[in-house]
Parts: sequence; C-alpha cells; structure tokens
Amino acid sequence: MTSPVIDTPAAGAGAAARAADLWKVYGSGEAQVIALRGVSVELERGRFTAIMGPSGSGKSTLMHCMAGLDSATRGQLAIGDTALNGLGDAGLTRLRREKVGFIFQQFNLLPTLTAEENILLPLAIAGRKPDPQWFKTVIETVGLGDRLHHRPNQLSGGQQQRVACARALVSQPEVIFADEPTGNLDSRSGAEILSFLRRSVTEHGQTIVMVTHDANAASYADRVIFLADGQIVDELREPTADAVLDRIKRLDVVSSPTGGPDGPPGQRTAEDSPAATATGASE
Amino acid sequence: MIKASLRGLLQRKLRLSLAVFAIVLSVAFLAGSLVLSDTLNARFTALFSTINQNVSVVVAAKDPQAVEPARLTDAQLRALSEVDGVKAVSPDVSAQGVIPFRATDGEPVSADAALGFGVDGNDDPLGLVELREGRWPTAEGEVTITAHTAELAKVKRGEQLKVYLPVLNEPRSFTVVGVAGYSGGRDSLAGEVVVMFQQAFAQQTFYGGTGLYGGASFAAEDGVSDDTLKQRIVEKLPAGFKALTGQESSEEQSAQVGVLFDVFKYILIGFAVVAGVVGIFLIFNTFNIIVAQRTRELALLRALGAGWGQVAGSVLLEALIVSLVGATVGLAAGIGVAAAGEAAITSQVELPAAGLVIAPLTVILAYLLGVVVTLIAAFVPAVRASSVPPVAAMRDVVRPDKSLTALSIVGAVFALPGIGLVLLGAFADLGGTAFLVLLGGAVLVFIGALLLSPLLARPIVRGLGALIGRGSAGNLGVRNAARNPRRTAVTAAAIIIGVTVIGMTATVVQSFKTSLEDIMGDNIGVEVMIQANVTAAPDGRQGFNPKALDQVRAIPGVKEAAAWHFDALGVSVAGQPQAFGIFATDVGQASRMFPFDATDGQIRTLAAQELVLDDNIAETLKLKAGDRTPVVIGGVTRDYTVVGVYQATPIIQGILVGEAAVADFPGPLAFQGFVSLNDGVDAAPVVEKIETIMKDYPGVQVGDRQSYVDQATASYDFLLIAVQILLLVALVIALLGILNTLVLSIVERTRELGLVRAVGLSRSGLVWMVTVESVLITVFGVFLGLALGVGLGAAFTKALMTLEFATVIAIPWLELGQYLLAAVVAGVLAAVIPARMAARLNVLDAISYE
Ligand SMILES: Nc1ncnc2c1ncn2[C@@H]1O[C@H](COP(=O)(O)OP(=O)(O)O)[C@@H](O)[C@H]1O
Ligand SMILES: [Mg+2]
Repeated sequence: MTSPVIDTPAAGAGAAARAADLWKVYGSGEAQVIALRGVSVELERGRFTAIMGPSGSGKSTLMHCMAGLDSATRGQLAIGDTALNGLGDAGLTRLRREKVGFIFQQFNLLPTLTAEENILLPLAIAGRKPDPQWFKTVIETVGLGDRLHHRPNQLSGGQQQRVACARALVSQPEVIFADEPTGNLDSRSGAEILSFLRRSVTEHGQTIVMVTHDANAASYADRVIFLADGQIVDELREPTADAVLDRIKRLDVVSSPTGGPDGPPGQRTAEDSPAATATGASE
Repeated sequence: MIKASLRGLLQRKLRLSLAVFAIVLSVAFLAGSLVLSDTLNARFTALFSTINQNVSVVVAAKDPQAVEPARLTDAQLRALSEVDGVKAVSPDVSAQGVIPFRATDGEPVSADAALGFGVDGNDDPLGLVELREGRWPTAEGEVTITAHTAELAKVKRGEQLKVYLPVLNEPRSFTVVGVAGYSGGRDSLAGEVVVMFQQAFAQQTFYGGTGLYGGASFAAEDGVSDDTLKQRIVEKLPAGFKALTGQESSEEQSAQVGVLFDVFKYILIGFAVVAGVVGIFLIFNTFNIIVAQRTRELALLRALGAGWGQVAGSVLLEALIVSLVGATVGLAAGIGVAAAGEAAITSQVELPAAGLVIAPLTVILAYLLGVVVTLIAAFVPAVRASSVPPVAAMRDVVRPDKSLTALSIVGAVFALPGIGLVLLGAFADLGGTAFLVLLGGAVLVFIGALLLSPLLARPIVRGLGALIGRGSAGNLGVRNAARNPRRTAVTAAAIIIGVTVIGMTATVVQSFKTSLEDIMGDNIGVEVMIQANVTAAPDGRQGFNPKALDQVRAIPGVKEAAAWHFDALGVSVAGQPQAFGIFATDVGQASRMFPFDATDGQIRTLAAQELVLDDNIAETLKLKAGDRTPVVIGGVTRDYTVVGVYQATPIIQGILVGEAAVADFPGPLAFQGFVSLNDGVDAAPVVEKIETIMKDYPGVQVGDRQSYVDQATASYDFLLIAVQILLLVALVIALLGILNTLVLSIVERTRELGLVRAVGLSRSGLVWMVTVESVLITVFGVFLGLALGVGLGAAFTKALMTLEFATVIAIPWLELGQYLLAAVVAGVLAAVIPARMAARLNVLDAISYE
C-alpha cells in the first residue's frame, strides 16, 4: 500500500495516529495466526475514518494496536508525536489518559457510577477538572440532559452508548477509537450515535477512528479503509453507502480465488476463509 | 446434570479452594482436639496400668479431700491382709505437697506433683519401686528419693535435703540415704517428685499418729481373679473406704489426671467452633458469588429443561463434594495438630508411649462437622440458583438486589428487645439475675446487629470511605465496597463476631483494672502484700504460717502486719451455704488498712464467735448488728453474734470472723498477709526482707501494692489473651474470607477493570482501588464489632458496679485503637493477592472477556 496523500487543511499539523509496516502475529507453530501483515496507515487529524472488512480481517487488532491496547509484533506506531514502541505500562497508561478515548461495542460503563460520573471518569482518573463549557456542549451534543444522574442499568442501550460517546469526547483526546459502536443497537439509536460522532468531527475537529462492518455506518465517515486478511486492500474518500457496498462486492470478487493479494492461502486459518466469500459483505 | 455440576466444580476449583480451606481449618481443630485427648488418655491409662500392673485390688478413702479423711488402723490393715487369696500387701502412707528445695540455690523444686511416702524399710512387695543405690530410710532424719527427684533437687546420696512438710507447714532437713527408680528403669512415672520417709515418721507427720494408713494395695494369689478378691475384701471393708480392682483404679486415676489436659481440648474445640461459624459465612459468600456468576449457565440448564430442584441439587452436590474434600484434608491436618500437641505436652511431662488414637467417633464427627457446616452455608445460594429464570440465558435479566427491608425488620425484632434487656440488666438492680438478663439481651442484640449489618453497610462504608477514599481510584474502591451491601456485610461478619467478643472482654477487664487501681491508690493503707499461690481453693492447708508475721513485725519501718485466712468448702451462715466463703483476720487491724464503712453496729477486732459482714450479704441473709446466727466452719456449728455491717467495696466484701475461728478451719495457714509501713519508709527493702522470711513456704509471693494490682488482674489478663488468640483465629479466617470475596469480585468485574484501565487508570491506581475496598470491608466489621463490644462491655460493667465489683466504666482506647490498626493491616494484606490479580489483567483481555 502506498501511504495516503495528506492534503486536507485539518490534517496540516500531521497525522493523529500512524502505523508503519505493522505486523501482528498471534500464537506460534500450528496455531499461528497472522492478524496483520505489514499495515501502513496514517489517520488524519480532524477526520472521521472508518475501517471496514470481513470478520476476522484484523479490524479490531489494527485498532487495538494503534490505540496502544495491544503490542505490535513488528512495525512503528505513533499517536500524535508520541511513538508507542517501547512505552511501558505506565507510559501507555498516561497515553490513554491524555490522548486516547474509547467507545466499545458493549459493556461500556461502570455500574456503580451515574451517567455523569461515568462521563467524567477519565478526567477524574487523570485528576483534571472538566471545562464546564465543553462539558455542557458535549452533554447537549449527545442529548443526555435529564439522564445525567441515572445509573447505567436505568438507561437503554442507546442511551448507554451515548454516555460512552460523551465520555470519550469530554477529555478532547487526540483520537477516539470506536469498535463497532453501533453493533449492538437498533438502527435508529445507531444513527443517532453516528450523527454525534459526525458532528463532533465537523464542528469540533475531533479525530475519530471507527471499526464497522455496516456500509451505512461507514458512509458517515470522511474516509473508509478496507481491510482483508490483515492487509489494507482499498480505501474510499467521501463515501456514500452505495459506493461502500459497491467496493465491498468488488473486493470479494478480487480476493475470492486467491485469498488475498500476496498472502499464500496455506497460511490462513479455516476460520478466515468465509471472509473471502459473500458473507463478508452481508456481515 | 450430575456430570455438568462435576465438570463445573473442576473449572471452579480455584474459586472454591478457600471455601475448602475454611472447612479444613474447622475440621482440623475438632479432629486435633479429639485425637489429642484420646491419645493422652491412652498414655495416662498406660501410665496407671504400669503403676497398678501387680495390683489386684486398691483400698482407699471414699473422700480423700475431707478435712479428716478416713484412715486404716494397724488392726484393720491386718484383717484385710488375712483375707483369703491375698498374696502381698503394700500399705499406703502418703501426702501431697511434699516439696524438696534445690540444694544449689535453696529454691523449691517445681513439679506438677510432689509426693511424700512412708516406707517400712523393706522392698516394695508389689515390685513397682526398686532401690538403685543405698538403702531405705530407717530413722526419722532419713529419706530415700527417686532418681528424678535427685536430679531436680541436685542432691546425691549422703547429702542433706531440705523438704517442706505439708501438715507441719514447715521445712526440715533430711539425709538422703538411698536413690530409687521404677521397674523398667524409669526415673519417674510422669515427671513427679517423690520423697520416701521412715514409715512411723510419715504416719506421725501426715496423719497425726503412728499405726495409721491412708489405704493399701493388694496382690492376689495365683488363681484368684481381681474381681473375686475385691468381693472378699469389700466384705471386710471398714466404713469410709472403697475397694477398686487395679483396672478400675487405673481408669479412675487417668480420668482424674486427664482433666488437667482438658483445657487443651477446650481451646481447640473453641477454635473449631470459631472456625466453623466464620467458615459458614465464607462458604456462603463463595457459593453466592459463584451462583451469581453462573446465572447464564444455570438459565441455559433451565431452558434446556432442568427442573429447579435439579439446579438447586447441583449446587448442593457441589457443596457436598467440597465439604468431603475439606473434611478429609482437615482430618489429616487435625491428626497432625494432635501429634504436635502431644509432642509439646510429652516434652514437659514424661509419659509412657502410646500411638496416636484415632477413634471412629473422631472420623465421624469430623465429616459430620464439615458436611453440616457446608450444607448450611450452601443452602441459600442453592435456592437462589434454582430461582434463575430460563429467560436469563437469552438476555441479561436484571435481578435487582432483593430489598433489605424484610431482613432489617427481622433484625430489629431481635435487636430492640435485646437492647431493652441489656439496659434492664445494666441499670435495674436485679442482683445476680442481672447477668442472665444481660447475657440474653446481648445474644439478641448480637443476632439483630448481624441481620442489620447489610443495612448499615452502605452508610458506614460511605462515611468511612469519605476519610480514606480520596482520588478517583479510592472513590471507585469505596463504591465497590458499598455496591453490594449483603456481600460486604457477610464478608465482614466474621470480623464483627470476633471483634464484638474481644471489645466486650477488653472493656470489662479494663474497667475492672481501673476500678481496682483507683481503690488501691487512694483508700488503702497497705504497702506490702504476701500472697500464697495455692493449687486449690485456700482452706488453711496451703499458704504460710501466720507466726512468720512476728518476724515481719520486727522489721524496722513496719507498722502493722495482718494475716488473712480463708475457707469456703462447706461454710454456711444462717443456714445458707456461702460459696464465696469466710475470711478470718484481725478486723480491727484490717479496718486501719482497708476502707471499711460501718452501716450498722461497729467494725472492731472480733472475739471468738463474733462476725461482721457486708451490706449486700446482710440484706440477703436478713441479718443486722446484734443478731445471733449459726455458722458452720470445717463441719463445726457455732452460734455467732453479728457485731457490724459494712459497705461492700470492690476490694473488701464478704463475711469476716476473728482469728480465734481459725481453729475450726481445715488448716492453720494464712493465704494472704498485708503489711503497712511507717510514713516515709521505702517498700522495696522491706519486700526483700519479707521474701527471705517467706522463703520456707513454697508458692508464697511478696510484692508491693502495684504488684498486688497486677496479680489481682493477672487472671483477667489471661482471659483477655485467651480471647485475643481466639480473635486471631477468627481474624485469619476473616482475612481469607475477604480475600475470597475480592478474588471472586475481581473475576466478576473483569470487564470493569479493563474499562477503567482503558480510560487511563494506572496499575497502582487499580491496586489502591482494591485495597480501599478491602480495608473498608475490614474496618466496617471492626467498627460495628467495637461499637457492639464496647456497648455490651459497658453494660456488663454497669451491672458489676451495682454489685460493687467495679467503680468505673473504663474504655480501653489504646487497645481498641490497636485492634483497628490490626484490622487495617489485615485489610491491606487481604488485598495483596486480589490487587495483584487485578493489576496483572491485560487490558485487552479484560475488555473482550466474556
Ligand atoms: N487473542 C488472539 N489470539 C489469537 N488469535 C486472535 C486473537 N485475537 C484475534 N485473533 C485472530 O486474528 C484475526 C483478526 O481478528 P480481529 O482483529 O478480531 O478481526 P475483526 O475485528 O476484523 O473481526 C482473526 O483471525 C482472529 O481469529
Ligand atoms: Mg472485531
């Protein structure tokens, strides 16, 4: 893959996160799985990037590595101007406190804390005071005003995920990583979450990376990166849902017989093979 | 179904291991106690069988403790030896408390038993005792001693030995003319000290006349069974005597001695009970949490058609297996405990060898304890498991915490009447029944408090949390401790129980000590105390000769010296037995030393057949000054005149008679002496001089006023230490309980932990979070326990004050502070493993943990 062209004004200050020749290998011998095979990617600052690909293609792995949750087998990683390679647990913890926000697919909130306390948790852990103006803006953006003092088990799944979004936004991190944030929601709640994310990028210049396998969700992004079998196989700018679907179909056709551009088929696990079929698109 | 629960068991073995451990502890203590006492019994039986190996029949006084025990005369002994079938006779002339003094430093030899015998100059006809060197004593000034005695007293044949003689109540010097041992080459049977005197001298000294015997042992001729001989002897037996076969005698003697070691048995059983009770809470918590964690799995079983009974049964089956494993390991550990205990005892006391005795009853009781404890504990979790709805398999069914209302109402139903009873016992003047009322109230309050503890957990944990839960990690720890009040309360229950008991004991003991110090400090004109450490209740047969006080009075600086005598056995006044006994002293002298406040009549030196008593007893016996009343002392009844009634105080209470009455006491010895000094005289040199005077009386101690307070409170300190050790056992198990709960909670909260790590909490922050939770649970338990313990202790003290046993309620703040500190340390320790577990979690694994 050639490195993407950085020509947008928002990205002028450099990439928010970077990976260069990133390899990730799980296990060894018989059970060895190569999840990422030399991925190089730069996520532009102030942009909304979606990562797509069939199940098992390495989306989550890529995101976890870039966010410093998982270590790379080989390759360079950076968030802003901080290189992740060689950072110990303390360094990674500081990085997460100061530069990274997370939104997970499910189980996002601490049951002992109210919605508001959950939102402010990263700041409390870092010992920072919230900017009241920004806090208000975030609350308004996610529309939680009257639910702030409820506990997670008193909130619907959609509301819980909005709290999680607010929590990621409130500390204004360098980049927010979201792993299938709408995967567990009905389409209406999902659409609401996606619009907050979109708005926070457009209006506040937040950088967001989102893993999804839903073409419609991907269409909210500025750029879609397609992963297959641990490699970036394509990308699309200013995507529409149709364009994304179209691209997925084409990729299936391309990758179907050989199992990927340069990966020998023998190295792939059986589990991976459905990725090369139509199920990848329907996922 | 069974297969499923067995497989689940293996998967959860780590989580269950602490539950198993709780059972192991409890069973080990019980089994250890039983095996130890059986084993010691076997050893004693072996010991006395050795003593009685050639004895067919033993004749002894029915009541050897009587003031004048029955004696056999020469004629009676001869009649018994002429019974058909008697081969040999060994008459018994003996006394206890015959104490040799060490030749090297003049100190009395200390031994569990110190015996004196009279021997007739011939070898033992029953062959138990054998002469090793020299000869048997044939003159008044001669003794033969056992090899063990020679070793302890550091004397050799031909040297002088000073021996204290009980009935004479003074030491005498003897020449050692021989050294003896026991058949089989033993120096002693059980570490006892034995001095053998010329028979006539022993009879005169011990029994007050020659030709008297305490009893005799008989050997039967071949072909005559022990029982037959016993029958024949019984026919000729004089009044006041009993006959036993050698076998019966061995059993009786070993039972008597075995009692001495029962204290070990009861301590271990105490530990077993504490461990069992605390273990129930631990096991309950474990199963509860496991059931909560398995909700989905149980729901799946239900969805697949398992009945609720099958689900509950699978949990109980799991509990049963856990209990069997625990009981088996516990039994083995208990046998180890017993072996160690036996080794410790036999290193002090020489006993013949006998293997460890593991009775079938021990095994049965061990398994019964393990199984019963576990099944009680697992019952509620099993019922809870059976109520998981099948639909929970499909989605997260929010099972709201059951409301605490019902539990709290039941708690209040116990606690409120309990508080009422405690207040009644403390403040109403109920006399002796106050303690029963208090005890009943205390038990109710205690049960009530345990039931209410979940309700109290949240507010108390939050309140305490505000103090230590600073920072976001600490704050999360506080919330975790408060999030499940039932779990927190059950985890803390062991601590609540232990700390309540210790807090109560400490408060009562402290109050008692402070009261005593108060009174001793101000009102008493005594500077030096003489105290006899007697092995039985003092009755004048142990102690010191009051004549020795003449020498004390001659010491420069001594103002007055008073001897106190005491007797309780068989004492009665106005037809009522007096369990607290009667004192004899010069009351006029006593009134210058102690705070006597006459409320009726006068307090002065008493003539014969006069007495004074305290107001409480006067009221009970309905006596006032001038009354005449019958008094029984030492079996003699006389009419006494009540001269005065005085106000009871914690230091002076009871019935007092003049020194003339000592003639009726079983013995003439005083058990206490009080010495007052002239103004400005230093007590220390006087104490030293009195010590020299008292040197001839074994077990008599001399000390200043403070040493008296220390001595008077020593037995309470001992109680306190015993309770503290018990607390330690409870605390160790409680610690395991907290560790257990935290480990299970951490497994349960893996994803939460991952989340807080993902949003930036550091490893040390996580460790702090878990530590705060642990310390809060512990401190909550201590807090509640101390509140209960101090409250109940104060109530008991108040009742003691009404009875004049104490003057103030004193709260031992320092000790309570130490317990609190110990709890914090325990909490931190309990958190070490769970916190490391939590910190070691990989963030990514934690997030994706299913
Ligand atoms: N912890 C792990 N151990 C072994 N293999 C793993 C692990 N995590 C992911 N994988 C494998 O790596 C590949 C990529 O996984 P993942 O990044 O989760 O894919 P995606 O999120 O695109 O579905 C898959 O083949 C998966 O089985
Ligand atoms: Mg994934």
